[in-house]
Amino acid sequence: MPPRDTKLEHLLAGVADGDEAAFAELYQATSSKLLGVAVRILRSREVAEEVLQEAFFKVWERASDYNAGIASPMTWMATIVRNRALDEARRRVVRPTGDESELENIASGDEHPIAALERSEDVERLLGCLDGLEPEKKEIVRLAYLDGLSREALAARFGRPEGTIKTWLHRSLAQLKGCLER
Amino acid sequence: MSELDDIEGLAAEYVLGTLTREERQVVADRRVTDKALDLAIEAWERRLAPLIETISPVTPSPNLYDKLRAQIEPYQHVVSLKAREQLLARRAARWRNAFVGATAIAASLVGVLGYRETVGRDEARQYVAVLDSGDDLPAFLLTVDTGTNMCVITAVNPPAQSAKTYQVWMVSDDMPKPKSLGLVNKPGEMQAMPVQSRSEMDLLMNASFAVSVEPMGGSPTGAPSGPVMFTGKLVQATP
Repeated sequence: MPPRDTKLEHLLAGVADGDEAAFAELYQATSSKLLGVAVRILRSREVAEEVLQEAFFKVWERASDYNAGIASPMTWMATIVRNRALDEARRRVVRPTGDESELENIASGDEHPIAALERSEDVERLLGCLDGLEPEKKEIVRLAYLDGLSREALAARFGRPEGTIKTWLHRSLAQLKGCLER
Repeated sequence: MSELDDIEGLAAEYVLGTLTREERQVVADRRVTDKALDLAIEAWERRLAPLIETISPVTPSPNLYDKLRAQIEPYQHVVSLKAREQLLARRAARWRNAFVGATAIAASLVGVLGYRETVGRDEARQYVAVLDSGDDLPAFLLTVDTGTNMCVITAVNPPAQSAKTYQVWMVSDDMPKPKSLGLVNKPGEMQAMPVQSRSEMDLLMNASFAVSVEPMGGSPTGAPSGPVMFTGKLVQATP
């Protein structure tokens, strides 16, 4: 487990008690990162903001479900955002219609070099384990998790049948799990 | 292990995001009852979440928080029942471990009801009685506010009764017999009554409260006739 983020935990406890000031502070602290997550998957700022709003409303309603023993606050909230964004992306099936030029500006996909210097230990460990995968398979995992590509989309992108993609995914994830448990 | 078994594979792909819309729905439904799947999903969420850190942040439009605030506003006053139940359970469990006795539990419960929003912030005016049988989740709460002179009984989580009703009673040495405060049954049901006089308030403060199981329509005798299931006394509420 990464070091506990007691500040966010404290804010979530406040939100669970209906404290709007805590909610505002939680929003301030996490909304940019979480919008980044949604934009990457949905490729539209407009839709991503709708999803972010729904996700934060869910955080407001469900903060009392949060359990620090299971996940960090950021993991918990990012999971809510990702699930919502993925559902929306699957519902819309084909997306890229919006202003792609804006998208390129707001989500180039590459981490800012400064941010890379401040990576935490568990990020380094996961990236290290990802580097252990063959380059193509590593790319598939990243495209799936960060950009929300479905098996079907991955199959089209890599020119392989879906069954092959599924096998690759399962092998890669098993390898990743083994590496992380070492 | 070179490949993932069924549950692991499903959990991993669910978290990774590669399932179809239909498959996602199936997994989301199944995890509710399938504990192993649920735990596997949580484990994969933890494994992959560090990747989130590598995503570039995008600042939301300035008006997004205003929209959110408008959305949560009504909830400031009417806390949804489910959320309230969960809060009560969580709080009660937390305090039970930290303190012994109902006093601490009762005190911790007041903030939970959102009660302070409706009656002001002077906590010294607020008193609460937790009517339960020692379980985590109180069956009933009785709250009294000496500022607004209101007494509110809330059914929080009483066990369901078939063809019977719960009746709440005030019991005091200063009264010849118990006084009925009303019938409250379904979780979330509330009954509010004004406290008419100073002497009635004094009576309330020093009384005990009991909940009995009675025939539909209430006790035929005007005093508890069925078994008393829950009891409690008011304590000052300090968060």
